[in-house]
Amino acid sequence: MEKRRSLFTDSPLKKKLLPILLASVFALTACGGQTTGGHTSEGNAGSGSTSAQGNSTQAESPATGGVINIAYPAKAATLDPHTTTNASTKDIARQIFEPLVTLNSKYEVVPMLAESYEVSQDGLSITFPLRKGVKFHNGKEMTADDVVASMNKWLKVSTQGKANLSGAAFTAKDPGTVVLTLQKPSLLTLHILADTAPFPAIMPKEIIEESGVEAVKTFIGTGPFQLEEWKQDQYVHLKKYPDYASRTEASDGLGGKKEALVDDLYFHYVTDESTRVAGITTGEYDIAFSIPFDNAEQIENSPDVSSFVSEGGMTTFVFNKKSGLFSNVKARQAVNAALDIEEILISAYRDSRYYTLDSGLALPNQSDWHSQAGKEEYNQHNLDKAKQLLAESGYKGEEVTILVTRDYPDYYNAAVVAQQQLQAIGLNAKLDVYDWPTMQERRKDEKVWDFFVVGFAVRPTLHQLPFLDSRGGYPGWTNSPEIDKLLDEIQSAPSIAEAKPLVDQLQALVWQELPIIKLGNRVNMAAVANHVQGLQDVIGPILWNVSTTKK
Amino acid sequence: MSGYILKRLLSMLPILAVVAVVVFMIVHLTPGDPAAVMLGDEAGEKEIAELRSQLGLDLPLAVQFFHWLANVLQGDLGRSYFSDVPVTQAFWEHLGPTVSVAILAQIIAILIAIPIGIMAARRRGTMIDQAVMGVSLFGISVPSFLLGLFLILLFAVQLKWLPVAGYKPLSSGLWNHLRYLILPALALGFMQAALIARMTRSSMLDIIADNYIKTARAKGLKETMVIYKHALRNACIPILTVIGETFGGLVTGAAVVETVFNIPGIGQLIISSVERRDYAVIQGTVLLITVTYVLLNLIVDLLYGIVDPRVRLNRKER
Repeated sequence: MEKRRSLFTDSPLKKKLLPILLASVFALTACGGQTTGGHTSEGNAGSGSTSAQGNSTQAESPATGGVINIAYPAKAATLDPHTTTNASTKDIARQIFEPLVTLNSKYEVVPMLAESYEVSQDGLSITFPLRKGVKFHNGKEMTADDVVASMNKWLKVSTQGKANLSGAAFTAKDPGTVVLTLQKPSLLTLHILADTAPFPAIMPKEIIEESGVEAVKTFIGTGPFQLEEWKQDQYVHLKKYPDYASRTEASDGLGGKKEALVDDLYFHYVTDESTRVAGITTGEYDIAFSIPFDNAEQIENSPDVSSFVSEGGMTTFVFNKKSGLFSNVKARQAVNAALDIEEILISAYRDSRYYTLDSGLALPNQSDWHSQAGKEEYNQHNLDKAKQLLAESGYKGEEVTILVTRDYPDYYNAAVVAQQQLQAIGLNAKLDVYDWPTMQERRKDEKVWDFFVVGFAVRPTLHQLPFLDSRGGYPGWTNSPEIDKLLDEIQSAPSIAEAKPLVDQLQALVWQELPIIKLGNRVNMAAVANHVQGLQDVIGPILWNVSTTKK
Repeated sequence: MSGYILKRLLSMLPILAVVAVVVFMIVHLTPGDPAAVMLGDEAGEKEIAELRSQLGLDLPLAVQFFHWLANVLQGDLGRSYFSDVPVTQAFWEHLGPTVSVAILAQIIAILIAIPIGIMAARRRGTMIDQAVMGVSLFGISVPSFLLGLFLILLFAVQLKWLPVAGYKPLSSGLWNHLRYLILPALALGFMQAALIARMTRSSMLDIIADNYIKTARAKGLKETMVIYKHALRNACIPILTVIGETFGGLVTGAAVVETVFNIPGIGQLIISSVERRDYAVIQGTVLLITVTYVLLNLIVDLLYGIVDPRVRLNRKER
């Protein structure tokens, strides 16, 4: 799935001008004698772990109470996580709602509202005994009926349910147990159920039934925070839910023990990135998400604030395999041979702390899926080989169009450097630049582009990367029966361990067929006030177990 | 008078018709798809097509236009695709912050502009005049968002006197309300002040040269009396025109400043709606803004009569 910051609604004009201006005025005043704390938060880009660095490690006995004000970049259309994959919905909804199973920090499936789970011998049913004593925010205890209603609606309306679990159904075995019955066994089912967007939130049966197939209008979950007020386009106010029933295992990623340590959380919608930066440095906000890399230094030099990096997924070039030059695999291989990936990433992300060079489709710490197979094809920067492959492809000097948006400066900067590198092998590359919604529209037309630059968020399985499967119809139109076959074989493998050789084969094949070129993994950057402790991130922020010493 | 108002209101209709057609065509011909935005990037073509059909976006453009027009004529501007609230409700919710900033900005602008405009006129050709005109030229030239960023830097980041950004409604207390509005109002007001000061200066220069001012001075009236009672009142019509026009601009066009200061006003509503391709909100809001702008102009025209009795007399003669 694509990087979902697409909805962070900074306009292109501001994106271009404001950070530069603010950075320069801050730089000017810094010369005027402002003291700097001198501490630098260590990014975790190199380690690949999901937890925060800098100030954000959990204190031994965390403070309780207080308020945390968050500057959040994108406005949510709904807080119902069933109906959209937008990050603006997911990041808030995950504090309110909980699923049956979730992901730990290694992206492995662990139970949440389910006490445990058991897959049948034939793989056609999964039984979930439910935890007892879990109460919804309206005070009602959760039962199998609520779970069945919620999960069946999710199967019916969510993109994940429809794409991966067609024909599946949940039934109540008894008031404390639900059973998922599947049409065919799949190694991925539990990962899909644990996915973070559109995540299968459990809600009271009455609310689900009242909503039909639409998004719910009342937001009652079982999570550590409950919705207090949602002021459209302004802020979302969450309050600690005092009767929250936590798991007892140690916290790990989205799983384990959860505790609302602060009384109130405010997500303020602050679409302008300069305003988020200024707001966190003055103490107006305690956490600010989506900080531009241009401001990293300023945040790190600020005495009361630290930077916080989390895994942001991968940045890629997606080829048009249906029409034009790159329908020929030799031409795709020529581009891959030509690229100096490091040069591209440094211009996109400014500092080697903010990206990692990695050829794997999954992150290194996604132990179930990460593979190094085919890495010899990655980051070759071999111009002679590239020129030879280009000649073999029958290229006659026609124009090659790189589709890109300036709404995300990293994509744009990557495209500019790639254009120069490709011109060096005689490829007549030009940039076609649009705002993000226009680019989304144009890439549907195979006649007008040759490759585009885009990011993909971290996903629990490889199958959820939309560009792999030919049957998905994702722009770029991968057409590889071999890749499809491997995807199917992995899905029907009896266990993750037995699927591992197939994952290696798939990874190697992707570097041969090149439906995309993976450039590297990037981080997302946030800024956190030093009085805030314990912030974590697994495909989005985790705000339980977060405390503040500011009262 | 009422006949005049009615005539002016009727003259709005062709303007609204043109605006309706142009806005509808522009938003619908711009690439992008609200259904794709709402469902998130992962949604397949089938789901997007289903939602498009649910929203009526799969109908021919002309049919969509007449559906929309028919509803508008019945007073229904439609619902936001994105947040599912009626467009009029979204507009009213966002109008409050915008009007608050606009009023404060206008007050600041008038308080700065009129005294310095008069001062420049009285001391025409001196250093003071040149300084005022220079500063006002700067005020017109500097983009308001740039000024906004400098104000944030000085008053919020360095001095920590005022908050960086945000908005608190009047119900949270007057000072709390104003605290958040001062910087954006200054950023907007400065440019307006520059325009008004220049107009005040040139209008006063015309009047000061008139014979009746000389007569007033010859009678031995105090200079302040001459300037503020006799000259200013007569110089007011062009100043009022500028104030009215700039206020219209403040209410309808403070999008960038609203974004910099994170004020949930009309400007932000339009920007967000364009980014989400929320056609119903863009169309409805632009129509309502047009109505607001035309009404503001009407009010300014009516104020002429109050300020200058000659305008009233002329109308009666007609």
